[in-house]
Amino acid sequence: MHLSSLLLCASALYAQTSYDLLLKGGHVIDPKNKINAVRDVAIRDGRIAAVAPNIPAAQGRKVVDVAGLYLTPGLIDLHAHVFAGTAGPMLAGGHTSIFPDAFALKSGVTTVVDAGSSGRRNFEEFKRTVVDRARTRVFVFLNIGGSGMTGEAQEQNVDDMDAKAAAELAMAHRDTIVGIKVAHYRGPDWRPVERGVEAGTLANIPVMIDFGEFRTERPFQELVLKKLRPGDIYTHAYYAPVPMLDDNGKVFPYLFEARKRGVLFDVGHGGAAFEFRQAVPAVRQGFVPDTISTDVHSGSINSGMKDQLNVMSKFLNMGMPLEDVILRSTWNAARVIRREQLGHLSVGAIADIAVLGVEKGKFAFVDSFGARMDGTQKLFAELTVASGKVVWDLNGRTRDHWDRLGKYQGLGEPYWDDSRGAARPMPAPASK
Amino acid sequence: MNSCLFLLLVLLPGTAQAQQYDLLLKNGHVIDPKNRINSVKDVAILNGKIAAVADAIDASKSLKTVDVSGMYVAPGFIDIHAHFSGSPGAAIFPDSHTLRSGVTTAVDAGGTGWRNFPEFRKKAMDTALVRVLAWINIVGRGMDGRAGEQNAKDMDPRSTAAMVNSNRDRIVGIKTAHYDGPEWVAVERAVEAGKIANVPVMVDFGTFRKERPFQELVLRKLRPGDIYTHLYLNSVPMLDEKGRVLPYLFEARKRGVLFDAGHGQGSFLFRQAVPAVQQGFIADTISTDLHIGSINAGMKDMSVVMSKFLIMGVPLEEVIARSTWAPARAIHHEELGHLSVNAVADVAVFRVEKGDFGFVDSYKAGMRGTQRIVCELTLRDGRVAWELNGITRESWDKLGKYDSQGDSRWDATSEDGRNSRLPGAVPTAPAK
Repeated sequence: MHLSSLLLCASALYAQTSYDLLLKGGHVIDPKNKINAVRDVAIRDGRIAAVAPNIPAAQGRKVVDVAGLYLTPGLIDLHAHVFAGTAGPMLAGGHTSIFPDAFALKSGVTTVVDAGSSGRRNFEEFKRTVVDRARTRVFVFLNIGGSGMTGEAQEQNVDDMDAKAAAELAMAHRDTIVGIKVAHYRGPDWRPVERGVEAGTLANIPVMIDFGEFRTERPFQELVLKKLRPGDIYTHAYYAPVPMLDDNGKVFPYLFEARKRGVLFDVGHGGAAFEFRQAVPAVRQGFVPDTISTDVHSGSINSGMKDQLNVMSKFLNMGMPLEDVILRSTWNAARVIRREQLGHLSVGAIADIAVLGVEKGKFAFVDSFGARMDGTQKLFAELTVASGKVVWDLNGRTRDHWDRLGKYQGLGEPYWDDSRGAARPMPAPASK
Repeated sequence: MNSCLFLLLVLLPGTAQAQQYDLLLKNGHVIDPKNRINSVKDVAILNGKIAAVADAIDASKSLKTVDVSGMYVAPGFIDIHAHFSGSPGAAIFPDSHTLRSGVTTAVDAGGTGWRNFPEFRKKAMDTALVRVLAWINIVGRGMDGRAGEQNAKDMDPRSTAAMVNSNRDRIVGIKTAHYDGPEWVAVERAVEAGKIANVPVMVDFGTFRKERPFQELVLRKLRPGDIYTHLYLNSVPMLDEKGRVLPYLFEARKRGVLFDAGHGQGSFLFRQAVPAVQQGFIADTISTDLHIGSINAGMKDMSVVMSKFLIMGVPLEEVIARSTWAPARAIHHEELGHLSVNAVADVAVFRVEKGDFGFVDSYKAGMRGTQRIVCELTLRDGRVAWELNGITRESWDKLGKYDSQGDSRWDATSEDGRNSRLPGAVPTAPAK
């Protein structure tokens, strides 16, 4: 027998007996692969190794029963603010941003996209202090403004919106920077949008627009019908100033037209940008968001937004089928940022997984104006797996009962368990 | 002229009486251990203070009335061990994990020392909605890396006590932590600072070493009112070979030394806690040791830690007492932790959910339980700072083309509250 065939036998044997982690009995919703059925999911070396109706428990080194729960790709939050630091009350390096691990993992989110907190001048600091240290996967929309969201003066300074410089930085950091962000502009002119699109064109990446103050000099219709390219994103879709409904409560046709052009509409709920009186009629008439996202920051986590699952639950209670809610929080978002290795459970994909429950009962949700909507369903995250390892476990589902363990020491093997929680240590600042 | 003024003075209170209260919580089961209330009562609030607690208060007397029947109403929880200072990726933004679990006062446990406390005060304390107090570290630079924490030369009782004296509204005591050496120097300097400033000391005992036995710490070194935190840590000599709680612990308690839970990432084991609690050695104060490493692991948040005590068999009223009035006394802030008339209206409204839940300890052992505390509504200074299910809100479809709802007299998440938390705006400093 040849050595090579011996090795082949050995590896086949290994494959049969040792998945690192086997999640059994969950209802898999994997929109990309059109799976919506009970399946077992096996993981090895941080990747999806098998998805099948019945994988014997003996093949998993660690087996977790997730019957009665939904198993989906790890959620992707397309609009977050995670450039947390000690600079004061601001989104760029301050405490208005939230460190990603503080909110993402416990709501099933394994990937967040920071929406323009940093610009070309503070991107490196953001990368060093947060992106490279967090256990949540972080991508970045780079602000067209050089200093990102440092304050009002910087965000209105059009002279500092340098398309070429932004594009160059984006191209130098293709692993992290997935797009360009334009935000919070109050002036009457189109320059920030135009420079954002110019940077996006140069670097061949999408642009995400927060339209700032809505002004008659630059109509929203023109933004989505002319200025944006297919694949560009308007965030804050259900924000009150968006011209959404006519006097009879019908969704304006231009919105469907813009969508037909390929412009994408993201929720970006945040502290001020989601109104039921816009969203409920729009969703009923089929104007649903392409992507569901939070706009998480210190001003939204304790108000109506709360977290990704709360925003998703709003859509569930507005009548969107669960599979659709999942699609718009996983695969759709992955495609928007052109990270097609994420957002699905194909064999070989990175094993980012959310195990979700749908609680039935009497719940209510609050919008950005403080109005309420009642509902009967609410999503919760029972288990979150990032790169094949457990990073959140709401009810100790992966754990053994303490009184059967004797004088136990630290439990949980590193091949499936990464719930220790700490971020990687801060590297030394780059010398200047 | 004089009579005019007199008339005005008489009339002013009269007109105010038309709206006697700002906010009325009706039909909740009040648990107020300090005042020995454990029954259904209405609670009325005016100008951020408790105005009345009575069997039936007329809803017409209040600007806003919220029905909280089926829920418990308690003083806002006080978490005397949390971490809000230090680098992103270690510290937590104060408002992010506190308000949602009913915590209205949280005490930073030694993140900063006398050299860097003022910056922490300015940047984090003064901008948070939750009330943030602090234990100041005996090390001048606080928790600035494990190496710095060993630097006995930077443990200066006089400078530390001086910083306490100039920040008595915020600093509650002295913290010593993470000391690895064989000497008593860290504990002794902390106690010395505590004596000079007349404040308690909280001790994390670092590496437990035979050269400085734990028994000596709690029986001799600490003064009555000083606190040992991380009670159910593996290293604490807790049980004899037959599983009985060692008598010296009861002796230390008799001396007046306090024992705090300080759960954290590594400091709470069911195999220490369950037998101890069963034998009556219950933490005097329940606290989280909130930081990035604990929020995604077994600790999670204050309501989870409290739930663990509940499922270990501690009666609900006791759990509340050890999370409200007991910690208020431990930090010498007796104006907090109760619902007496004229007390600050920091209030936690919660449910005890029944079901099959699991909890995890610091070594990742599990424990099943049938109860869980879920926070529905948190009031800070009489205003809504968190609500899970919109119980204070009107249904959107009955509001027409509504604009921002809420009134800053009862709503900290109204537009005023939100704006103060947006980038660029001047943060509103809490009253205290």
